[in-house]
Amino acid sequence: MSAFMKPQSAAGWATLLLAVIIILLGLPLVYMGAELAFLGGSLYYVVCGLVVTAAGVLMAMGRPVGGLLYLGACAFTWLWAFWEVGFDGWGLLPRVFGPTLLAIGVALCLPVLRRADHARTTHVREVA
Amino acid sequence: MSNTPMLRTLLLGATIIAGTAGAGALAQVPPADQPPGSGNATVAPGTPTPPTDAFSAPSPNSPQAPGVNAANIPDGPPAEPSEATPMVEQVTASPAHDDWPGYGRDDRATRFSPLDQITPSNVSHLKRAFIYHTGSKPGPGQVNKWAAETTPIKVGDGLYMCSALNDMMRIDPATGKEVWHFHANEKYESIPYTAACKAVVYYTSSTVPEGEHCHHRILEATLDERLIEVDSEDGKVCEGFGWHGMVNLMKGMGESVPGFVAETAPPPIVNGAIITNQEILDGQRRWAPSGVIRGYDAETGRFLWAWDVNRPHEHGEPKEGEHYSRGTPNSWAAMIGDNALGLVYVPTGNSAADYYSAMRSPEENKVSSAVVAIDVKTGEPRWVFQTVHKDVWDYDIGSQPTLMDFTKPDGSTVPALIMPTKRGQTFVLDRRTGEPVLPVEERPAPSPGMVPGDTRAPTQPWSVGMPRLGFAPLKEADMWGMSPIDQLYCRLKYRRAHYVGEFTPPSIDKPWLEYPGYNGGSDWGSVAYDEKTGILIANWNNTPMYDQLVSRKKADKLGLMPVDDPNYKPGGGGAEGAGAMAETPYGIVVSPFWDEYTGMMCNRPPYGMITAIDMHTQKVLWQHPLGSARANGPFGLPTHLPLTIGTPNNGGPVITAGGLIFVAATTDNMIHAFDIHTGREVWNDVLPGGGQATPMTYEYKGKQYVAIMAGGHHFMMTPVTDDLVVYALDNVN
Repeated sequence: MSAFMKPQSAAGWATLLLAVIIILLGLPLVYMGAELAFLGGSLYYVVCGLVVTAAGVLMAMGRPVGGLLYLGACAFTWLWAFWEVGFDGWGLLPRVFGPTLLAIGVALCLPVLRRADHARTTHVREVA
Repeated sequence: MSNTPMLRTLLLGATIIAGTAGAGALAQVPPADQPPGSGNATVAPGTPTPPTDAFSAPSPNSPQAPGVNAANIPDGPPAEPSEATPMVEQVTASPAHDDWPGYGRDDRATRFSPLDQITPSNVSHLKRAFIYHTGSKPGPGQVNKWAAETTPIKVGDGLYMCSALNDMMRIDPATGKEVWHFHANEKYESIPYTAACKAVVYYTSSTVPEGEHCHHRILEATLDERLIEVDSEDGKVCEGFGWHGMVNLMKGMGESVPGFVAETAPPPIVNGAIITNQEILDGQRRWAPSGVIRGYDAETGRFLWAWDVNRPHEHGEPKEGEHYSRGTPNSWAAMIGDNALGLVYVPTGNSAADYYSAMRSPEENKVSSAVVAIDVKTGEPRWVFQTVHKDVWDYDIGSQPTLMDFTKPDGSTVPALIMPTKRGQTFVLDRRTGEPVLPVEERPAPSPGMVPGDTRAPTQPWSVGMPRLGFAPLKEADMWGMSPIDQLYCRLKYRRAHYVGEFTPPSIDKPWLEYPGYNGGSDWGSVAYDEKTGILIANWNNTPMYDQLVSRKKADKLGLMPVDDPNYKPGGGGAEGAGAMAETPYGIVVSPFWDEYTGMMCNRPPYGMITAIDMHTQKVLWQHPLGSARANGPFGLPTHLPLTIGTPNNGGPVITAGGLIFVAATTDNMIHAFDIHTGREVWNDVLPGGGQATPMTYEYKGKQYVAIMAGGHHFMMTPVTDDLVVYALDNVN
């Protein structure tokens, strides 16, 4: 059996799509963030990129913990953004606006992930 | 970057998905070649490649290409130095209340008008009175090099101006109806970096009696290097001036091609001498035509003197077979004269090959990126104040100096000169001696630099007594974008470059960050000053650049070649982008410090500011971002958002006694009015094109008008038009 979700509904497909998007956004964060860290720049991007990519993979696997991980990363991002630029609007914009939009999407997907998780665990139990 | 396509896809996808729904806005900045990045060092340190480039330099004595002497004016034998015909008082000495008789309005370039009909409380009634079309804009198939940058002048019953291609015209100040139109018949090939004509000059003759033809004259200096004088009443040339009304400024310049040497600023007339400077196309080659400053008689066009940096004691025209010294610092800003002291203040630029200084003479090093005061009788320099030592950042001075009487703490008054710079350092100098009136500190700068055999100056001057028109040095956290990914990309660009502050030396192995950047601080827009209140208004830029020196081999590979190379193609490297810098070991790649995928600047906004300074206390009264995000956005798309983000701006401010500041300049294509006391924006209007020009105001038959040339700017990527837009109150008759 595949480790990934098998969407049965529009909501399921939307969740999978969101997970894929999060992975696609996470990977360049890891890749470029690693170079940035190597050049003596901020460590935030490579760390956040790893967490977000993992969150996306877990979401694609139908694990609610993936969604929670993303929400956690977003919350951490807010804290980091305040630390780096304070309450400056223009400074906050690139740091938190996009991630927060995605976080809203993730929060909306949480029930889908829970259902998927429930179905998966039920299925596993039946096989056992 | 080998992974560019993938990266690009990811970035595009990411930025679209992260979709800040247009909330991102930006500095509209032009495209340019990107620096090649690391791995560019093809030579071992310490061994500069000899300039064995693809370009074989023509002899400076070879004949000028056809069209350089645009009107085929017979040169005659080389002239000896002589003195000007004595001058009568000119209209700019004490302008009539209703007039705006010169580029900066008066002899001091204050850009202050005593008109007070329009005030913060009625400015909302300002409506378009008329639009006048100059007739000059890009034709079909022509690369857009237009940016008219024109400020009309108004004397009595006439509004006088020039088009981007140097036609001169008089129009009716109330209706915009054309009274006469002088055709300069300028060729497209003569356009240097930009087709611009900042202003014409009004001159009253001392030898032609009142009522006769050419008693009052309109003078201009042209892109194709002519001085032209016409009569102010009928627009016909003044036969008594030069050769049928024209003087050929290419005489004695040696080898050149059309478009290499040009004039875009109004030449000042000081004690009867027209003073000319010229813009030499940047980045071409080390031995480009001369930056010589010359005087000509305003009555007759007769040559008076030359100040030629590397021929310091020869003030006559070069002998047969000789030419003015090549590659010397060129001055392209509007100069200003001082009839009382008999001086002209010349804001200079840089020697040719802006980013490599090892081949400059000591004489050049003394006078580049400086203010040079020249005696208008003899052409001898009286004093020099340098704003950058051994400039390799293109911090040439673009602003016109403004004159003022500076009151010292002890109550004594000093005749002073305000010199804004692209560095955002504003120097206030005693114009008798060039000594700073406000403290200037020589501060350590990174030295010896990173280019073999080209050492940087150990110190640079800072005007610590004046507020800085700029921000603190860039930090990684100042990088911007719409999403974390493009912000990260900019953080990477920041870290991949050399950057140790404002005087980061040029480098070959990787790019370097040039900040504040060659677009300012203060560029050609200059400042406005109200002598009564002591308030100085300056609008300025915050736009870093990303530059890299490239080996000659690499420059050849990039196809960089100077304008006088037979293989040169228009757009193949030029003034403000990549340049061949032929005859030096290196070429130069210059680009905005931006995310080239989204077209947004890498640094956080604002990109343009406006500042009010009290010159009595040298304190900032107010300062805020200038320009909205309405016409700019990611991927070049307008956001239509009325957010004041602060855009790059080109064009100066105007102050009126009505308590208003008028400034256009911004890339949102608007003209703005601010309350001078609060800095609050009290009015604006969307122009038909980019307002990259300095506005002016005049009164005619009891009605105050505000005029702005909405000519746009090719480099600022604003819409180009030939529209002069003139406003007046709709509730005044």
